[in-house]
Amino acid sequence: MVREALVWLQTVLGKGTGDTAQSWSEALLGSLNFWGLLEGTHLLTLVLFAGTIFVVDLRLLGVTFRRTPVSVVSDKILPLTVAGFVILIATGLALFFAKPLVYYHNIWFRAKLVFLVLAMLNIVVFHTRVQKNQAAWDTLATPPRMAQVSAVLSLVSWLLVIAMGRFIPYNWFDCGKPIPHVVNVLQDCKTSEHGAVDAQDMVKLAPNSGAAKPQGAAQ
Amino acid sequence: MKLTFEVLFPALRPWVVNLVNVWPAYIIKPQYANWEVLHILSLTLLGGTAILMNLRLLNVGITEEPPSEIYRNLRRWQDLGVIGIIASGILIGMANAEKLYDSTAFVVKMCALLGGIILTYGASRPVARADGAVSSSAKLWFLLGALIWLAGLVIMATGALINVGLYHVITAAALVVLIASRGRLRWIYLVGLLALIAAQQGVTHFAYAGDDIHHLDPVNKLFTWLLAIWIVGAGLVRLLLTRREERQGVFVQLIAWSTILVWITGGAAGRWIAFE
Repeated sequence: MVREALVWLQTVLGKGTGDTAQSWSEALLGSLNFWGLLEGTHLLTLVLFAGTIFVVDLRLLGVTFRRTPVSVVSDKILPLTVAGFVILIATGLALFFAKPLVYYHNIWFRAKLVFLVLAMLNIVVFHTRVQKNQAAWDTLATPPRMAQVSAVLSLVSWLLVIAMGRFIPYNWFDCGKPIPHVVNVLQDCKTSEHGAVDAQDMVKLAPNSGAAKPQGAAQ
Repeated sequence: MKLTFEVLFPALRPWVVNLVNVWPAYIIKPQYANWEVLHILSLTLLGGTAILMNLRLLNVGITEEPPSEIYRNLRRWQDLGVIGIIASGILIGMANAEKLYDSTAFVVKMCALLGGIILTYGASRPVARADGAVSSSAKLWFLLGALIWLAGLVIMATGALINVGLYHVITAAALVVLIASRGRLRWIYLVGLLALIAAQQGVTHFAYAGDDIHHLDPVNKLFTWLLAIWIVGAGLVRLLLTRREERQGVFVQLIAWSTILVWITGGAAGRWIAFE
């Protein structure tokens, strides 16, 4: 269901008539410079987004800006973080639109989305639970344990989002290559145009392939 | 123009080619992606602290604290970022040396790195530590760092296949001016900026066919100049408007802007190594 929609998105949407007609997705991917600019903007905006959110997290951990109230640090820095996030999402969606099927069958992309959701959940919990009594610890050099846990979760989840994002273009686990069964399942290779090849099946044949004759061949 | 380290030091090729076989490059090579992640994380730490420290010099950000307090709290994290990009950069650079040797974007990146270190440690941080007072040595370091950075920009602008990366620097400059400007100036600037972007899109998408590079190329170059002039012009207007209030204002703002943009230039050039 999801895959069919993505096939439509990649190959049909915006496609005109004629032999050389391209869908919008194909045109974006094949553009001379636009795709590169999107990709570069995605990375550079990450500097603004992650670079600023890390500073807020470090304040919550009590390792920087210890003399400045948490509210001052977050009120003044987070608008920059949010601006970065908006650009990240916009460029990220456009990059996804250029190669939806590649990303759909990519384990790192799927993992990135999982950690992205965890990071967002952490933000929701921080705003609804941890921040409730912020007035009580706003000026403390070291905020309470709950805020620190939230900061660590934020740091770790964004770090993983960044790492997973960087791994996406690598072809270690491309569908159609002999890869572990669990990866084939996790990235739904069976439905992909390259199919699913389990590495376990390959290993059985490889070491003594001479002996792997069809059953009954020895007779 | 294709200015590369190959052009500058042609005799070095055998040494460069062999770098991948030298310790620790042959260990790094199979784990290349992990070290790239470290490179990006270091860049976020360096970039984030540079943005916050220098925006404060433009009176934006944590204005409740003086610039010296921002500097005191962020300097060690910034050091970590600088050490991180250099250490991880040397490792992934060794594992990928021949490509970098033939890359113009890499020359730009090295200009930005050198200019960035000089601007950050010679000008921006001393000025932040002194709460906006600009010493003569800070002025000198600023001139040297800015010169190296501008040389990098010229190499980028004249380099085939990488000159488009300049749009990252222009976009960042546009955002810094937008964030730093106030009141009527901000709105006039924003309207002009949007009009220029709309005009460029209109001309390049409706006046000429998509493959008419012969016409599109000069049109895009013209609009690049117009955008740069508009953004720098708005920055200069802001700079002159605040001059009377702060005696050191002009130098402080020039230092703050160039120190943010030099690191953006380095990041953009780094990304465009892959697109060359």
